[in-house]
Amino acid sequence: MNAAAGLDLASIPDRIHSEVQRAIQRSIKGVEYFSTSGPSLGSTPKDILAVRGTMNLYHYRPVADEIYRVPILIVMATTNRGYILDMVPGQSFIEFLLKRGYDVYMLDWTAPKPEEKSLRMEDYVLDFIPDCVRRVQRDSGETDVTVIGYCFGGVLSLLYGSIFADGPMKNLICFTTPVDFREMKLFQNFSDRRYFDVDKLVDSVGNVPPEMILSSFEMLRPASRAASQVQLWDNIWNDEFVKSYRMFDRWATDTLPLAGEYFRQTIKELMWDNKIYNGTMSVGGRPVDLSRIKVPMLHAVAEHDHIVPYDAAKALIPKIGSADKEEVILKGGHVSLVAGANAIKRLWPKLDSWLGERSI
Amino acid sequence: MADKSNDPAAIWQTMIGEMEKGFNAFANQAMASPEFSKVVNQVGGVTAGAQKQLGDLMEKYLVSMNLPSRAQMVSMAERLQSIEGQLNEIKAMLHQAQQNSGGSDDGVAGARPPRTRRPPSAGGEQK
Repeated sequence: MNAAAGLDLASIPDRIHSEVQRAIQRSIKGVEYFSTSGPSLGSTPKDILAVRGTMNLYHYRPVADEIYRVPILIVMATTNRGYILDMVPGQSFIEFLLKRGYDVYMLDWTAPKPEEKSLRMEDYVLDFIPDCVRRVQRDSGETDVTVIGYCFGGVLSLLYGSIFADGPMKNLICFTTPVDFREMKLFQNFSDRRYFDVDKLVDSVGNVPPEMILSSFEMLRPASRAASQVQLWDNIWNDEFVKSYRMFDRWATDTLPLAGEYFRQTIKELMWDNKIYNGTMSVGGRPVDLSRIKVPMLHAVAEHDHIVPYDAAKALIPKIGSADKEEVILKGGHVSLVAGANAIKRLWPKLDSWLGERSI
Repeated sequence: MADKSNDPAAIWQTMIGEMEKGFNAFANQAMASPEFSKVVNQVGGVTAGAQKQLGDLMEKYLVSMNLPSRAQMVSMAERLQSIEGQLNEIKAMLHQAQQNSGGSDDGVAGARPPRTRRPPSAGGEQK
């Protein structure tokens, strides 16, 4: 080793050889990248139990010989597709739950049609979720249901749980769920009521286009898309990296439009008036009081979440009325908390150990 | 083991990572200003309005070309979706009926396993 320069001279030929190999692989794999479509996502076997407008209810086929008594209903965020929780075998939260013996249902969303622009929070909280809960009860033959909400799916689950506090929700799990919208600083600034005319926007476009939703997410980290493309080129010789990149990139850009009225309500009642946090929220005239939620509750948040910063999520657990409640802060970001290698190591086992004993 | 501090590839990757973080932090600071909000929302408002007008114009053009209007296509899609929904309902009912009768089916969705599972701590080893 050349001590002065800190160089290991003996390793230089190997290093050059390895870099040349990678350069060749980059060229070959680069062509492959553009000529193939990427891994098939969301392929865990499932049955479609109901489709009604933007609402889709799936039941995943159990794989364990014996399952827990209480079925799970996952409520997906309205901005994104549910296959983030069912990427590919070995990296699927759904598959993990099925193998651990849970009976899993998912309320997933498709793009609302122009005619659905008038959907409001009331439709989601007082109609779609209760309808799916009833269908889960009917299909499973069980009265109790565990609800898991991801991001804004968590917000909808909270509203549902608070309004239907007498049941049948048995447990509530939220992933990265904001309640103090003042703390979503950049979104606050993007939707500053002095400059953002939400009425004009919704009245002119109907449903809020997915490009607008995607841009607002990407603006939170404007350099990240370019940097990730550089990293892709660097690692294009690595099949595992490319597979993972394609999965997450496809999901991230597969954003859904939002129903106009629902978006208008979200901006006015949550971003501007912070009604859930202030305790002034109501849905269809029914007051929302998070202290009415008395079922066991777990809130998983990510340490480096740039979409829902911890400050926006930390008020949730103190507001819940349950005696059995827990917040768990895990390493990772908004997406890596629930999917990918980080989630496999951290969140999934934690959730299994928490939920198993509450599912009998 | 090679010294990472002298590995050009590692240096390059670190540099990209640091540049990304630095630029994101700088941009986040800039975007936190009210001026930014004002400009973005002015531009966004104009773009959304223009998109809407373009959409209306296209609709008129399609009608004049004697092509199906968007409303007709949406209506057709709705009817298809409604038929799909009813098929799914029938499928779910058949599935439920099959379960109730305790019969096995063609392997599409087999009989459900018993709901007797216990967590490892409560009922012995996990399967």
